[in-house]
Amino acid sequence: MNDARLERTIGLVLGAGAIISFCLLAIGIAGMGVTHVGPLDRPFPPFDLNRLGSDLVALNPAGFLWLGLLAVILTPSVRVLASLLGFAAAGERRMVAVAAIVLAAICLSAALGAGG
Amino acid sequence: MFELLLLVGGGVAAGAFGALLGLGGGVLIVPLLTLGFGLPFREAVGASLVCVIVTSSAAASVYLQRDVANLRLGMTLEMFTAIAALAGGLIAFLLPDRVLAIMFAALLLYVALTMARARDAREAMGVSPGPVAGSGARARHDGPAADEDGDLDTATADSAIDAGLAEPEPDSGLAASLSGPGYRIHSLGRGVVGSLLAGIVSALFGVGGGIVKVPVMNLIMGVPMRVATATSNLMIGVTASAGGLIYLFRGGIDPYVAAPTAVGVFVGASLASRLADRVDLPVLRLLFIAVLVVTAAQMALRGIG
Repeated sequence: MNDARLERTIGLVLGAGAIISFCLLAIGIAGMGVTHVGPLDRPFPPFDLNRLGSDLVALNPAGFLWLGLLAVILTPSVRVLASLLGFAAAGERRMVAVAAIVLAAICLSAALGAGG
Repeated sequence: MFELLLLVGGGVAAGAFGALLGLGGGVLIVPLLTLGFGLPFREAVGASLVCVIVTSSAAASVYLQRDVANLRLGMTLEMFTAIAALAGGLIAFLLPDRVLAIMFAALLLYVALTMARARDAREAMGVSPGPVAGSGARARHDGPAADEDGDLDTATADSAIDAGLAEPEPDSGLAASLSGPGYRIHSLGRGVVGSLLAGIVSALFGVGGGIVKVPVMNLIMGVPMRVATATSNLMIGVTASAGGLIYLFRGGIDPYVAAPTAVGVFVGASLASRLADRVDLPVLRLLFIAVLVVTAAQMALRGIG
């Protein structure tokens, strides 16, 4: 895969991530309006991966909001993963290593955040 | 319901205002949420990081498809911004809100001074509203390294060396592989230091860090302004994501606040690209500097208690 094609592909990944995130967040916000949940209501629902599926099935706005926020936060990681695969296909070992280190840093952030 | 609309509206205003002036929006969102809605500083930073990622992804998508961003350089530097953002995110949960507020006030003053000294408001920060909307309008950052058509040259690199900001380096394999058409990368080491600083600033204050990265890439590393702007935008997503994950897992992101603000900022930044030609930017810039100074004073007062 040449550079221009790789960049276009990654650009599409980022664009798709932004649109999907926006749509999920918009659905969640509409749900907040329908269920009369205010943005300053306390306590706010905690982030819990185990509850995400059931919240979505129950059409709970919090499920869509958290899924949208996850999509937002993970879109750049997907972009890095796509870059890694692209550089691997092109046989660019240095850039594969760079992408792997970036992904490792992101994973470490998640691990340290969850561990705290 | 009224609060929800107010929050979305505030996000739209922050997104539009910030994008018109070449900011990612973080320096406006944190004060909006802390001073305007009474949120704790860390929750405001968590929401701001989400907003920054959304706008970065949308803008970087367009920059990459137009072949403006330097993917290799961005990925190399974001190794350091991501690691620093991780550290910054951890530090943010150790520092008291008051200390963070005072430090943020200092950041606002720095941004105000940078904008006051720059020839062009967008030149100072280097984030264009155009790509967010994907409207087809090209980025307009004709800084010192780009000519009137936005074509790239090596003037910045050479002038940076002449000015003593950068040291000429032999074209090592790495620097050569990161250079782009018509320009050479210099002073990678200083770029790494700048990236580390940008990462910490991003995670501590919920900003993109472009205020650090763009000048470092442009003035020190010899990257043309348009490329530096686009590359910084690309890096912002990963940087804010590394910090954002710490906030997410430590309860620093309120979905009821972050989601409406992010949607508002995205819409506002998109609208800005359509308003850019109709707004008197010098007046807006002066108004913005005044807002930053007043906000910095309020933040400092909040910090002092």
